[in-house]
Amino acid sequence: MNTIPQKSSEITPDEIMIVCMARQIKDGDVVAQGIATPMVTAAYLLARHTHAPNLYFMSAIGQGICREPAPLSITQIEKLWLEKSLTNIGFVRASLEGLPTLTPKEFFRPAQMNQSGNFNNIAFGKNYRKPRLRLPGTGGIPDVTTYSSNIYLYVPRHSKITFVETLDFHSGLVYKPNESQFEGPKFLVTDLGQFDFIQNKMRLISLHPGISLKEVQLKTGFNFEVPENLSTTQLPTKEELYYLRQVVDPLNSRKLEMLRGSKRKELLRRIIIKENAHEK
Amino acid sequence: MGKVISMTEGTKYVKSGMMLALGGMTLYRRPVAFVNELIRSHHSTGLPNLLTLLAFTASLESDLLVGSGMISTVRSCYFGLESFGLAPMFTYFANRGEITIIEETEASIASGLRAKLAGIGFMPAKAWIGTDLPKLRPDVKTIRDPYTGEELMAFPSIEPDIAVIHAIKADTDGNAIIGMNKGVDEELTLAAKTVIITAEEIAPKLPRADLVAPLITAVIHAPHGAAPTSCYPLYPINGLSILEYTEKVHDPESWEKYIQEKLLKY
Repeated sequence: MNTIPQKSSEITPDEIMIVCMARQIKDGDVVAQGIATPMVTAAYLLARHTHAPNLYFMSAIGQGICREPAPLSITQIEKLWLEKSLTNIGFVRASLEGLPTLTPKEFFRPAQMNQSGNFNNIAFGKNYRKPRLRLPGTGGIPDVTTYSSNIYLYVPRHSKITFVETLDFHSGLVYKPNESQFEGPKFLVTDLGQFDFIQNKMRLISLHPGISLKEVQLKTGFNFEVPENLSTTQLPTKEELYYLRQVVDPLNSRKLEMLRGSKRKELLRRIIIKENAHEK
Repeated sequence: MGKVISMTEGTKYVKSGMMLALGGMTLYRRPVAFVNELIRSHHSTGLPNLLTLLAFTASLESDLLVGSGMISTVRSCYFGLESFGLAPMFTYFANRGEITIIEETEASIASGLRAKLAGIGFMPAKAWIGTDLPKLRPDVKTIRDPYTGEELMAFPSIEPDIAVIHAIKADTDGNAIIGMNKGVDEELTLAAKTVIITAEEIAPKLPRADLVAPLITAVIHAPHGAAPTSCYPLYPINGLSILEYTEKVHDPESWEKYIQEKLLKY
């Protein structure tokens, strides 16, 4: 976890990230909701409360088109999405018809990312047959990223494990060298700062409070652009924090994306037990 | 009783070397009872083996199968346990190069099934070009759009030997209701040579159905047959049970212990 300055000691990196993500959502957007990405869900739900009440959702679970979003949940999420769906189109239609025509705004979480914003979610290690760590797979990323320019990225733990000079595998094609209209990802937020992409290169937009440029450079495996007047990320407002903590995510599901190992399992267990108690 | 057979009879349809497709998606409506019976059978007879597993998204049900050693090849665009993390046995064998992965994405499986349904050898789609996927799948060729000249992926037709789909309700003819979270089950039913339905409930005659009888080979009564995955609207996922799997299983030895404890209590 990063150190946060005294005056905002109660605000955690996941909260800053989610608020940054929510601010990227515009009223009237169609947004895509993948699998096991509570920070993305939290950002969509927060945006709906603060400034974007008119969103439409494409949900992987249920393959539904929804006007109302499902709240965050681990054990009840299927029921929640199904009961919000206007229609359910199945996965063949969702991937071959729905995504190419509606090109929803979507936040992806790269396992590895390079300077131009292309990324990898297949495996760590160059040997495909015997990788250092096989990852779950790419879902529809190598499909969607070839035709959509509506790609947003988030990385909960900014480190040289994720930000690399050379990708082990290239499965997310955001920067397309042959197509000038695609400049790469629209936006990236990490636990250290906010970024955009200009001329095939990652550029720091703002540092989160308490984070130094040096720290970002030390944790990034390539050079990135730094503007002359580097700003500090605008802290979450009282209103944003209230909705995020009290309304959108009272069980702290968002933190599942920040934690690892036994701490993560303990949080997951607490959430499941609370959800089970609530169901009964 | 029409097409209704027992679980033991049902699993005998799965022969070594076949492409076995599993219905449902991630942790929802997976044919877990059928998978468990296959594991029991494999445990006592050593058969079937050398199966190719096709699952649009693969999760707990597929990880159990991979752990048994029955699966030699996996075709899926996602193999994991959602918020519960990596699928431990898939990760174990994949890291060691002990299982063949045919890298798939949503478009490659969806297009492959559509090609089969259209009775043609491939289906073109906008996907993959510019990524490493074509290198990882040298068997997948590209094609030029004859009208615009655009280069497209030509995803080859996929024909599973057998598909197993868990239903909320089925009738004795084989008509079945699967509900709203369909995944690719409608297409699997149309594409596979043999289709087995496991169902929470067998009804005499359904007035409406999602999957229709002429496509269905056999029906098996399997109450609670998707647990610990869900069967909406009857039951949600059993979170604590899935969490327990991730805590207990991390290699072949712990998988075996888990199976002995949970499954092989004859």
